[in-house]
Amino acid sequence: MRSDDPEARSGPVSGSWLAVLPLGLFAALVWGLAAVPLPWHGTVSWVPSLGVNLDWRVDALPAQFLLLITGIGTVVFLYAGGYLAHTPRAGRLYGVLLLFMAAMIGVVSADHLLVLFLCWELTSLTSFFLVGFKHTDAAARASARQALFVTLGGGLALLAAFILFHQITGSWSLHTIAASGPLLAADPRLPAALALLFIGCFTKSAQFPFHFWLPNAMSAPTPVSAYLHSATMVKLGIYLLARLDPAFNDLLIWEAVLVGVGTLTAVWAAVLALRERDLKRILARSTVSALGTLTLLIGLPNDGAALAVIAFLFAHALYKAPLFFVAGNIDHATGTRSIDHLMGLRRRMPWTTVAAVLAGLSMAGLPLSFGYVAKDVVGAAKSGADLVVVVSYGLLFVNAMAVAVAAVAAIRVFWGPMSPSFEKVREVSWAMRLPPLLIALAGLEFEFLPRFIDPLLIQAAQVMAPGADVGRLAVSHPFGSGFTAVEVTLAIGVVLFMFWERLHRWLGRLAHLDRFGPAAVFDALLGGLPRVAAWHTRTLQHGALDGYLRLTVAALLALGAAGWWVAGFPWPSTYPAGAGRWDLVAAATLIAAGAVAAPFLRDRLALLMAVGLVGYGSAALFLFAGAPDVAFTQFAVETALVVVASAVLPRYGRALRYAEPWVRNALLAAAAGFGTFVLLAGMFALPTDTSLAGWFAAHSLPEAHGRNVVNVILVDFRALDTLGEITVVLFSALAAWPLLRGLGHRERGVTTPRAVMLERVAGAAYWIMLAAAAWLLLRGHNAPGGGFIAALVAVAATALIAIVYGPLPARRRLPLRPVTLAAMGVLLALLSGLPGVVTGQPFLTHLWWTVPLGGAGFKLSTVLLFDLGVFFAVWGALAAYVLALLNDREEGT
Amino acid sequence: MILWVLMAVSIAVAAGVYLALSRDLFRVVVGLALLGAAVNLVVFAAGRMASRTPPLLAAASDAPAAAAADPLAQALVLTAIVISFALLCFALVLGARLRRVSGSDDVRAQRAAEPAAVDPVKPPELED
Repeated sequence: MRSDDPEARSGPVSGSWLAVLPLGLFAALVWGLAAVPLPWHGTVSWVPSLGVNLDWRVDALPAQFLLLITGIGTVVFLYAGGYLAHTPRAGRLYGVLLLFMAAMIGVVSADHLLVLFLCWELTSLTSFFLVGFKHTDAAARASARQALFVTLGGGLALLAAFILFHQITGSWSLHTIAASGPLLAADPRLPAALALLFIGCFTKSAQFPFHFWLPNAMSAPTPVSAYLHSATMVKLGIYLLARLDPAFNDLLIWEAVLVGVGTLTAVWAAVLALRERDLKRILARSTVSALGTLTLLIGLPNDGAALAVIAFLFAHALYKAPLFFVAGNIDHATGTRSIDHLMGLRRRMPWTTVAAVLAGLSMAGLPLSFGYVAKDVVGAAKSGADLVVVVSYGLLFVNAMAVAVAAVAAIRVFWGPMSPSFEKVREVSWAMRLPPLLIALAGLEFEFLPRFIDPLLIQAAQVMAPGADVGRLAVSHPFGSGFTAVEVTLAIGVVLFMFWERLHRWLGRLAHLDRFGPAAVFDALLGGLPRVAAWHTRTLQHGALDGYLRLTVAALLALGAAGWWVAGFPWPSTYPAGAGRWDLVAAATLIAAGAVAAPFLRDRLALLMAVGLVGYGSAALFLFAGAPDVAFTQFAVETALVVVASAVLPRYGRALRYAEPWVRNALLAAAAGFGTFVLLAGMFALPTDTSLAGWFAAHSLPEAHGRNVVNVILVDFRALDTLGEITVVLFSALAAWPLLRGLGHRERGVTTPRAVMLERVAGAAYWIMLAAAAWLLLRGHNAPGGGFIAALVAVAATALIAIVYGPLPARRRLPLRPVTLAAMGVLLALLSGLPGVVTGQPFLTHLWWTVPLGGAGFKLSTVLLFDLGVFFAVWGALAAYVLALLNDREEGT
Repeated sequence: MILWVLMAVSIAVAAGVYLALSRDLFRVVVGLALLGAAVNLVVFAAGRMASRTPPLLAAASDAPAAAAADPLAQALVLTAIVISFALLCFALVLGARLRRVSGSDDVRAQRAAEPAAVDPVKPPELED
C-alpha cells in the first residue's frame, strides 16, 4: 500500500527542482512576448550543401504552443518530483522528459520542414521511452511499441508529404508553403501530398482510424500522460494542420476530410469513453474526442473557426492536464483508478477535490471558466458554418459527453458514500497537490484577466486566417439568459451522467465488434510481420545449395534475356576483331574440352585434371588476348591448385555414386550455360566503351609513373579496391583459423614415399623461386609482374618445401607465422597510404621521390610499399591454406 | 570465330553448375571452382579480347599503344583469380574436415545442421 508509506508523502524531492528549467524558459518567453514584437525568426547554418538550415520562426501560433509547453512543463516537473519520489530510475524519466520538451520546442519553432520532421520524430522516440518507462510490465512495453509504430510510421508519411510540398513550391519553409495556396492547388501532386500529410497528422493526433494508441499509452506514468497525451504532443498534428490551414482552407477535400474524420473521431471516442472503467482511460478517450473536435474546427472554412480552434485548444490544455493530475493523485493515494470503487474521496482528499471541481467546471463549459468562453466561441463558429445536420448533432453529443466526463472526474469519485477501505487514505504530497490547482486556477484566471492572453490568442487565430476578422474572445450572451446551446449541452450532459452505468452495460454487449476495429488490424499486422519474415527466410535461406543455384541461374537467365531484349536482340555476326583469331579458338577449345569432360569423370584425380585443363586453357586465352599479367597469375594458381588438391584428395576417400536427379541438374546447367551465352553474345554485338581504358592508359605514366597499366590500376588508381581485396583474403584465412590449429605439434615426419632427387634440389629451388618472386615484384610497375604474381610464385615455393620436407619445415622458413604474415601485409598496405594523407592528399595517394644515383635518378615510392603489402598478404594467407591442407593429409595417413 | 570462344565460356559455366549441383562434396567444391573460373572469363571477355598487344607503355614512347588490350578488365580478373583461389582452398579445407566429422561426403547428409522447422516463427533449435 503506497498510501501507508510515510516517505511517499514527503515533500518535493530532487525531481521537482528540475521545474526551474521550464520555469526559466516560461519566464523568458513571457518577458519576450511583452518586450519584443512577433514574429521572431532567425537561422543557423547546418548542412548548407543540402540546403538544410536551422531556420526558426515564432509567430503567435507557435508562441501559444511555447507557452503551453514551458508552462505546463513547469508544473509537470513539479508534479513528477512528488509522483515519482522513491521510484527507481526516475532520473532516466526526467532526462527523457527534458529531451522531449526540447524536441517539442523544436517542432513548433522550426520553419524548415526537415528540421520540423526531425524534431517531430524525436518526440515520437522520446514518447516511446516515456510510455514504456515501466519496462518490466509487458502491457507497458506493448503500448510503447504501438505508440512508436503508429506515430513513427505517420512521421514517414509526413516526410513524404514535406518532400512533395518542396517539389511543388521549391521551398522548405513552412510559412512560405502556408502562403502558396494557389500554387499548391494547381498542382496535380497535391492530393497525394495531402493524403500523406493527413496520415502524419492523424497518427500523431490520434484521429480515426489511428485513435487506438492514445488510450493504451496511458500505461505511462501520470506526469507523462498529462504532458504528452493531453496538453502538448498529441496536439502537434493539430498544430501542423492549423499552420497549413491558410493554404488549403478553400479546398473542398480539406474541408471534407477534416470535418468528416474530425466528427467521426470526436463522436466515436466519446462513445468509447462510456465503455471504460479506468478514470485515466476515460480522460484519454475524452482527449481523443477533443482532438477530433479541433480537427473538425480546422476544416471549417469560415474565419471565426480559427479563433475557435485556438481558444478550445488552449482551454483543453488548461483543464485536461489538471484532471490527469487528479487521476494520478487518486491512483497514488488509493492504489486504484477504477470508477467502480472510487467514491466519496472529498473527505480524505480536499485539495485534489478543489482542483478537480475547478478543472471540471472548465471542461463542462460552465461560467467563471475559460472553458465557458471557448465553448461559446466554438458555438459561434459552428453556427457561422454551413454544417451538415449529422455533424451538428454529433458535436452536440460530444459536448454533452464532455460534461458527463467532467462530472465523473469531478463529482462521482469525490461525492457519495465512501468505501470503508479508503478510511486510511490521506491527501497526497504538496508537490502533487499544487500542480493541478495551479493550472486549474490559471484556467479561471484567463476568464477574469483577458488582457494578458486574449491578444495573443487573437493574433494566433490571425496566423490561421490571415487578413480576416477573426472576431473577439467574448461571451456573446450571459449564462442563463436563454435556452442556448450551452444550456442544452449541459442538460444532455447531466442526463448522460445519470445514465452512465446503464449506457456502459449496454455498450459492453457490443464488445465482440472489437475484432474488426483498427486496433485488431494493427495487432494482426504486427503478428503477421514475423510470420512473413520467417516464411520468406525459409523460402530463400533454406540452406540447400541446389536451391540457391537454381535461384542464381534463374536470375542469370532473366538478366540475359532482359539485356538482350533491351538491346534489341543483337547478334555478333560481324564482330570484326574476332576474324582470323585461331589462337583464341585453340585456347577456347582447351577450355571446352576440359569443361565437357569434367561432368563425366567419376575419378577425382581425373576430374581435377579436367578442371586444370580449363585453367590452363584460360591462361592461354589471357596470354593470346594481351593479358600477360593475368595469364601468369592463372598459370601460378593452376599449378598451386593441382598440387594442393592432389595432396588433399586422399582425405575425401573413394568417390561413391549417389542417386542424383541428373536430368534435372543437366537441364539447369544447360540453362545456365545458355543464359551466359546469350548475355555474352549480346555484349559482343554492342559497341564497347573504351573511355575508362583510354583514361587509365593516358594517365598511367604522367600521374603514376608506371608503364604496366594493369599494375598501375591495381596499386595506384584503384588501390583502395585492392586493399579491400587483400583484406578479404586475410579474413578468409582467419575464418579457416580453427581448421589450421595443431600445425606445430602434429608433425610426424615425412610418411610419403621419399623423393630423393627432389629433396636434394628443393632447398636451392626454394631460394631461387623466392628470388624470382622478388624480381617479379620489383619490375611489376613497368613490366608484367607485381605483388599478386610474385606472391603466387612464393606460395608455390612454400608448397614445394611442404611436400618434400613436410608442413612444419615449410612454415619455419616463412618470415612469420602465415596468418601473421598476411596481417602484416595488409597493415603495410594500409600504412603506405598514410604519407599521402599527411601531405594533405586523399588516402592512398602515392608519393614519389627521385634519389640521385649516378646518372639516372632512382625512383622510390610508396607504391612499392603497397605492392609489398599485397605480396605478404597473399603469400601469408595462401601459404596458411596450403600448409593446412598438407598437414591435414599428414594427419590422416 | 568469336562465337566459339563465347560458347566455350558458356560450356564452362554449365559444367560448373552441373558439378556444383552434385551430392558429392568434392564435386561441389570443384564445381564451384570451375564456376568461378568461368565467371572470371566472362568478366575478361567484357574487355572484348580485340587486341594481342598488352597494355604496356613502350619504353621509347610515353604515349600508350593505339590498340592495346583493355587494362581494366585485366585488373578486375587478376584479383578475382587470387580471391577465387583463396575461396577454393577454404572450401577444400572445410570439406575435408566436414567429411571427417560427419563420416560422409554426401551433401544431403550435411543438412543435419539445419533441422526442419517446427514453429512458424522461431528457428529450430540445434541439438548439441
